Amino acid sequence: MFKTFSRSFFPAAWLGWQIESNWTDPFLFLAFSIAKPIASVLILVFMYNAVSQAGPDSPIYSYIYLGNAFYIYVTEVMAGASFSILDDRERYRSLKYIYIAPVSIPIYLFGRAVARFTTGTIAVVITLVAGVLFFGVPFNPLGVDWPMFFAALALGIVCLAFMGIIIGSWTLIIRTEPWFVGEATAAALYLFSGAVFPLSILPVWLQPVGFLLPMTYWLELIRRALLGPGAAAFPTLSAFSNAELFGILMLIAVGFGIVAFVAYRYFDRRAREEGMIDAQSNF
Amino acid sequence: MSDQPAIKTENLGRIYKIRGAKKGEARQRVALADVNLEVPRGEFFGLLGPNGAGKTTLIKILTTLLAPSTGRAFVAGYDVARQPQEVRPRINMVSGGESSGYGLLTVRENLWMFGQFYGLDTKTTYARIDELLQIVGLADRARTKTSDLSTGLRQKMNIVRGFLTDPEVIFLDEPTLGLDVGASRDIRHFVRRWMDDRPGRTVLLTTHYMVEADELCDRVAIINNGRVLACDSPANLKRRLQREAIFKLEVSPLRNGVLAAFEQLPGVRKVVHSPQDGRSELDLILEADEALGGVVTALNTHGAHILNLQKREPTLEDVFVDLVGMSMTEAEKAGEQELMGG
Amino acid sequence: MSTLITTRPPDRGWRLFVRTIVARAYPRVIGQQREKAWIFFETFLPFLATVGYIYVYRAIQAPEDYIGFVVMGGAMTAFWLNVIWAMASQLYWEKESGNLALYIMAPNSLMAILLGMALGGMLATCLRALVITVLGTLLFGISFAVSSYFQLFAVFVLTMAALYGLGMLLASLFLLWGREAWQIATALQEPVYFISGFYFPVKSFGFAVALAASVLPLTLGMDAMRQLVFASGPSLGFLSVEVEIAILSVLAVVFIAAAKFWLDFMERKAIEEGTLTDRRR
Repeated sequence: MFKTFSRSFFPAAWLGWQIESNWTDPFLFLAFSIAKPIASVLILVFMYNAVSQAGPDSPIYSYIYLGNAFYIYVTEVMAGASFSILDDRERYRSLKYIYIAPVSIPIYLFGRAVARFTTGTIAVVITLVAGVLFFGVPFNPLGVDWPMFFAALALGIVCLAFMGIIIGSWTLIIRTEPWFVGEATAAALYLFSGAVFPLSILPVWLQPVGFLLPMTYWLELIRRALLGPGAAAFPTLSAFSNAELFGILMLIAVGFGIVAFVAYRYFDRRAREEGMIDAQSNF
Repeated sequence: MSDQPAIKTENLGRIYKIRGAKKGEARQRVALADVNLEVPRGEFFGLLGPNGAGKTTLIKILTTLLAPSTGRAFVAGYDVARQPQEVRPRINMVSGGESSGYGLLTVRENLWMFGQFYGLDTKTTYARIDELLQIVGLADRARTKTSDLSTGLRQKMNIVRGFLTDPEVIFLDEPTLGLDVGASRDIRHFVRRWMDDRPGRTVLLTTHYMVEADELCDRVAIINNGRVLACDSPANLKRRLQREAIFKLEVSPLRNGVLAAFEQLPGVRKVVHSPQDGRSELDLILEADEALGGVVTALNTHGAHILNLQKREPTLEDVFVDLVGMSMTEAEKAGEQELMGG
Repeated sequence: MSTLITTRPPDRGWRLFVRTIVARAYPRVIGQQREKAWIFFETFLPFLATVGYIYVYRAIQAPEDYIGFVVMGGAMTAFWLNVIWAMASQLYWEKESGNLALYIMAPNSLMAILLGMALGGMLATCLRALVITVLGTLLFGISFAVSSYFQLFAVFVLTMAALYGLGMLLASLFLLWGREAWQIATALQEPVYFISGFYFPVKSFGFAVALAASVLPLTLGMDAMRQLVFASGPSLGFLSVEVEIAILSVLAVVFIAAAKFWLDFMERKAIEEGTLTDRRR
């Protein structure tokens, strides 16, 4: 069991890092890694500034800024997982060899996503620092509940890893344009997870989708840990205590873990039935 | 331009820069040096050499995909580096071991697409596709998706793609690489027939299969380490060795180091050793039959028993050994080692 | 085989150009028909992503026209993605699969190949733009006040001409690049959404930055279209529509001419350096 884990996870994490980082020199690599997340946060800052007269002191501003900053992890991990399948299958044509090796594909995928998690962390940190220094995000390191922050972060990452496995497994059976799957899904879920606006803004019939997603609770916990009472300005989850939010997030993590397991079994079977393990979908 | 040779090269050379070479390592590799060839129209010309000899580099230059570092090359009378637009409508290329087109398209659709890139009208394209597919025995798979074809069938489609445009000069780069005996034979027959039916068309074939070159080519250039060592008809090349005596011996397994001793024997020009399952095979090029006695004595001295002895006619492989001093396989290994050593 | 049917000599010049565009678009169109999963990924998911931005404006109580701005920006993302993925970075895939060498070796024009790739993907692109526009308009009750259909048409056509010229210019760089092409295409996505003001008026940048951003055709294209389509558009516009049309005309000519020049130059350079056929995975 442990051997399977170690031979699936460590080489995958190493390979993921090599693929992510060794295409250029470290400076360019860093610039490209942060260009995308920084640009997406700037879009929101300018949207806000174009309309609102309230300035950065309004609670909605830090709500949007922090939600978007931590959502970088969602995009990175989900896109990372689907890209791994695509990379290995279509670009390096090595998925078939990994498949016949005695490794666990879900753990392998998890390992590959670690590299994206690392670049994601760099981007998150830079976004937060830029927010505090240049964009007026109110942030007091002494007021942060660090244990709660790291606990929430870790639990959220586990959920994201499960979601990455679901998306990666799904990519196995997608032939066309698979490179968009992870990113497109992450971008679509942006709408439901209360990342950049409180769920109460959504029509009532759409809100339940948000309540089923781990990101909703995870981002709320992160905001509460970082901002303290300032995070409670919006009614959506204000009725829940921190402990309750942790409890819900844990339950959802277990749920997503089961779904990830089932999804992998299902998509793996279908991929082999349809001969997709060594497919080429260029056209 | 029809009076010009199909292919002509003048002191052609190509040097590759080695990316990421560290201090002390070679920063460039000579892939081709001082190649002077002239291939008249209507000739089936072969380039014979081990992997890494420079054959593909030469083809890339002649098909306008790679610029020469030195010298010049002409195809159908046009300079490949300066007049690629004149060269391209007149040529085509088929490489072995490569797929072309898109897996989602059928054989017929892929071929139609490539025909369009050469400006063929659709009616002509389809008529030619159907005719050529029939000849290569792929007609019943015309509507099969390319992704569903076996390697051999995919290569047959690739061959049809190359000949579809009825090129004046066609470049076949190891066209039978990785194919089974039957598929290779089909392809060789097809190409030979095409040449017979289309006088004035020229084929340049690169191969490291001696038999292929011997069977198909009017003339063959032997190439190694980027240099052309000899260029003549297969018969003339083999005639060089007519004065020598060539023997094939099967003996009990030989110990290491014995071989070097054989090469010192009087009258022995070259010994090629191929270890087989439970025995050793020796190809001997001797200055005269008389030298064989010394070899037999030496074998006895080293405790080896002769299992079979045969005098045979020279082959192109022997010509290669005579020119390079080692067999094609040995030359390939030497080339790889040189590359690994920088 | 002795016949090898020939009815007339092969086409050259503009006829070959058109044939090449059609032929290269063909696998795209057929591929999309044979594998329909893209409809979900290329239309529904991007629509949801656009809606996300709409609710951001709702959350900060923006005027209703801003919702229309987002819908237009969301629709226009389709064209930018078509340019960087279906055209520019597709060349990398063609190189990997061995097709690029065959394209270069044929007597056709590389520009025609690139246009074929882009046009082949146009079905998906237009469908994506249309779904976002129609659904966005219907679901969020966007009201349009078109001041000049003629100018709107002119702006759209000029923007597309300049955009695809820029795309071909980018594609020429991909002839030299290997694996890094991928990262560069990815990195061109969101930053361009930002710089071109896909979701907010570029006027917010201030004059100097907005002017610099106008090098990208979509910046002025969208700014002009917003001015022509929404009631509050002119008050939020960067330059007057007439000036923007003039600049877009210049951009279109410059980018198409530069693309032709650069494609030829890069092809020569790639042939010299041997990067057309080497595969650096």
